[in-house]
Amino acid sequence: MPITIIAPKPAQQRYAAPQDSPDASDSEEGDDLSEGGADLEGDISMGHRPAKKARTDGKYEIVTPGEVITDDPQWMRGHGTYVSPAATSIISSVAGTVTRTNKLLSVRPLRARYTPEVGDLVVGRIVEVQAKRWRVDVGSTQLASLPLSAINLPGGILRRRTDTDELQIRTFFAEGDLLVAEVQQLYQDGGAVLHTRSLKYGKLRNGIFVAVSGMGGGGGVVRSRRQVWTLDAANGGGQIDIVLGVNGYVWISKHVEPVLAEDQKTTPTTAGPITNAPTTTGITNLEESVSATMYSSQNDRIEVETMREIARLRGVITALVENGLRVDEDMVMKGYHEAVEMALTYGEGGQDDVYLGGERGEQLAAVLRGR
Amino acid sequence: MSSQHVLLSPAELSYLHASLSLQPLPLRPDGRSPTQFRPLVAETGILPGTNGSARICFADGTEAIVGVKAEVERTVQPFTQDTQTTQDEGETPAEDERRKEEVGGSDWVEMTVEIPGYRDDDPTTVFLGQMLQEALLADGEFTKRLRINGRFHWKIYLDILLISPPLSYPLPLLSLTTHLALLSARLPRLKSEGDEDPLFDDDWAASTYVYPRDNNKKDGKDGNNKVVARPPVTLLVMAVGNNIIFDPAREELAVADVALAVSVGEETTTTTTQTGGDDDVDMEEGSTPGKRRLRLLSVRTIDPPSRLTPPGVPNATNTAYTAPTGTAEAKTQDGARTLETERVEGVWKAPRGGAKVMVMAALVAKVLEKGGVADEVLDGLEAVDLG
Amino acid sequence: MTDRRRINGPVGATFPPVFVYEGEDAVKETKKTRSRPPNAIRKMYLKTGVTPSASGSAYLEIETSAKGSGSGLKLSCTVHGPRSLPRSTPFSPHIILSTHVKYAPFATRQRRGYLRDSTERDLGTHLETALRGAIIADRWPKSGVDIIISIIEGDQDRESSKAEGDESWDMMNALSGCITVASAALADAGIDCVDTVAGGVAALVRNAADDSVSNIVIDPVPSEHEKILAACCIAYLPTRDEVTNLWFKGDLGASDMELYTSLVEKGIQASKYANRVLVECLGETVG
Repeated sequence: MPITIIAPKPAQQRYAAPQDSPDASDSEEGDDLSEGGADLEGDISMGHRPAKKARTDGKYEIVTPGEVITDDPQWMRGHGTYVSPAATSIISSVAGTVTRTNKLLSVRPLRARYTPEVGDLVVGRIVEVQAKRWRVDVGSTQLASLPLSAINLPGGILRRRTDTDELQIRTFFAEGDLLVAEVQQLYQDGGAVLHTRSLKYGKLRNGIFVAVSGMGGGGGVVRSRRQVWTLDAANGGGQIDIVLGVNGYVWISKHVEPVLAEDQKTTPTTAGPITNAPTTTGITNLEESVSATMYSSQNDRIEVETMREIARLRGVITALVENGLRVDEDMVMKGYHEAVEMALTYGEGGQDDVYLGGERGEQLAAVLRGR
Repeated sequence: MSSQHVLLSPAELSYLHASLSLQPLPLRPDGRSPTQFRPLVAETGILPGTNGSARICFADGTEAIVGVKAEVERTVQPFTQDTQTTQDEGETPAEDERRKEEVGGSDWVEMTVEIPGYRDDDPTTVFLGQMLQEALLADGEFTKRLRINGRFHWKIYLDILLISPPLSYPLPLLSLTTHLALLSARLPRLKSEGDEDPLFDDDWAASTYVYPRDNNKKDGKDGNNKVVARPPVTLLVMAVGNNIIFDPAREELAVADVALAVSVGEETTTTTTQTGGDDDVDMEEGSTPGKRRLRLLSVRTIDPPSRLTPPGVPNATNTAYTAPTGTAEAKTQDGARTLETERVEGVWKAPRGGAKVMVMAALVAKVLEKGGVADEVLDGLEAVDLG
Repeated sequence: MTDRRRINGPVGATFPPVFVYEGEDAVKETKKTRSRPPNAIRKMYLKTGVTPSASGSAYLEIETSAKGSGSGLKLSCTVHGPRSLPRSTPFSPHIILSTHVKYAPFATRQRRGYLRDSTERDLGTHLETALRGAIIADRWPKSGVDIIISIIEGDQDRESSKAEGDESWDMMNALSGCITVASAALADAGIDCVDTVAGGVAALVRNAADDSVSNIVIDPVPSEHEKILAACCIAYLPTRDEVTNLWFKGDLGASDMELYTSLVEKGIQASKYANRVLVECLGETVG
């Protein structure tokens, strides 16, 4: 059947589901408390949080703009609030949930664009090339900028930046290119400055892009311990890398063993499983190899099995978002294993067993909520 | 630009192209089978202020609403030497006269497409509107239904509204929504007779469908009466390598070798008498129910955005690939030249030139094949509850 | 009696009188029939370099078959560019093509306004699709080219009042002319093309004489036929054997796929004929 037409559902349905599973809400709470950062755009897990939390322990409450949160002068106002000049009461300026961090009172909006923070791992797309910097779309209110001075130039990490580099700026990144980078610095107006001065970062290839944010229902990437990891795919798919940009942009690609330069191997890297992977040695002229993968736009050979599993992972992430579940390593891995199991029931070797849209996505989400 | 500009990196394009041109079956990024459409939510009759309306919504939040409004308009009489001034009803008119009466004017239908973020005179919008209108008017059957009598006719306004900027080429969405809206469209029952000024029944319950239904045949569990004629549907189909793919998403269209919009109509199967009265034509004798007789109404080439995509640079010519600055100069010049050479595996290169005739013919044939996609799409649309 | 300032016309519409001349036979004769064989296109005249101020230009005239009026389709095309884009436009690795097709206000029976209407914009989009496949866009990064076509005279029969509803078919003829003339002007402007693209039209027609039989003709003139069942306009690259734009319109049963295929083939044939004229014309310019 090439076309599925579903009858419209009553709007209530989305809210009904989490109430059946108090366990899931508990684990979410744990996550929320530990991460402590500002939340991401379109995080739908918050969408059904207020009703549920208000019911369970009353700790979280939902406020609307103009609503007085507290009259108590002991609190300090944070994001999403304002103080009227006459009184001391703190008033909400967005619709969202109240969070209290020590004496700081802030309101997290239910849905908002990504607000960058220093140290965030983001996936971005180059939209403009300027004389000495790139402008990168990271799904934020403003374009982030990536200065030419913040990238590793080919031919050694410590090479000096020259005029030739400035003239050939498009050979590093051109319009449309996707890259993974880290937020290095924030301007006063909320604009971010990125850098790619690590082997973990650079141009993305061998895979597929999903923008989780701002597309319909909500749901999205939440900050978690690991934003980047490698998994062993089922069905002979080999190893697959997943980059969950904190900004909601996701990259799923075939894992290619990174080739480390001599001086890099001894440097301990804190996070990032890519660097945990065994390094290949014995290649001469290692510095050049590093830059090779950094700015190449040529894909390696990718096996069909790998492509299938990449498509399946993409389906899992889309299904999570469409059904209002958060996207992090835990959920993606659970969802992926579930999807592989489910695929077995769709018949042997059926080509469409990768498909996870519509009812299948809901089925998958239902299973995940039930856990 | 006839289709929207997409910004994708050469590596992404190369990956998409590779996975979509896999043999024997393409691997689509969302795992759909080549002929599978994105799941959609559809309902009709959502706007009580219209003669007919429908709404279709994709899982990604793209949503289209179509409203049909009808107005009574005086028919402009084209003056020809043989125009009869008699007021006769056309029971036994001259053959020539009869032909003239049956044909409605193409300006009896006005279709507007509104896409947020696009000007309404934007080529994309105009192109979409023209395409849908062309399909609707192609067989001349639709305008015949709008005739009230010799002096008056219905003027149908079809307003197609996209709620948010489209995330993919919106043609299939708009076409399917228009289809449902027209199916649900009703016109007041005519009370007057002959060529006098038309007078209509106030009772909306007595109104008749623009696309009449056969009261004898019940359709499935909903108890809907079977629709005997249907508006056309326009399907978007594209080819990558040797694969034919239906309902492409934005990123799939970005690597298309060729994309076609194919409008398909259904032959009227049963004879009906319309409220308008005298002007309905008998098509050929009713075929066996359930088996559609499709008609090809229009084919248009969609300019695939793939031609405007940035090319990838093969590692062999990439100046950023091997470092030594001394050789960089020589490489750039090399690079300019190698742009003209043949494809390197894993490097994206925008297609150039047109499409082979055979490929285009295969696309159209695939749409129209018996029990094929067009058939099943019409089946699927039939199942929608036309409340 | 709300509007007293104007003298309102009578309520019922009236028609200006039309006098029948030379008896009944003359009336019948206004319906022309096709005198050319079904696989021949009308004569056309093509010349490049007619507008010195433009980078490239071409003029196309197609002979009419209408009696007395002596003129057919007349198209003038100018190409401006490649030229650099304004600073505000984003970087483009390819040449940016923009096409404008405009009927002169006096080109058709019904006067056209100065603003482009939807059919003209539609023609522009078709033309853009047809040309985009032909030009080598990555030879000219960061530049744009404007292709402007004026339809000075549309091919419409002024005498016959029976031509109602033919306008939609006339559009196909106009498009095929636009493609050919734009291709000539692009070549004149020295913009790299993979091949010379030319337009051709074929139609499935039913003639008055034999009502049941329908046959395929190339380069149809709508007023010459009783009814056009379907038509297709094709932009074709002869040396690459590729189609850059295909536009089919009409009503064909799904079982008649052979008809569709042969219609397309005939369209290609028409395009090949037009291409012959195009190549010869370009040869003359160079020589």
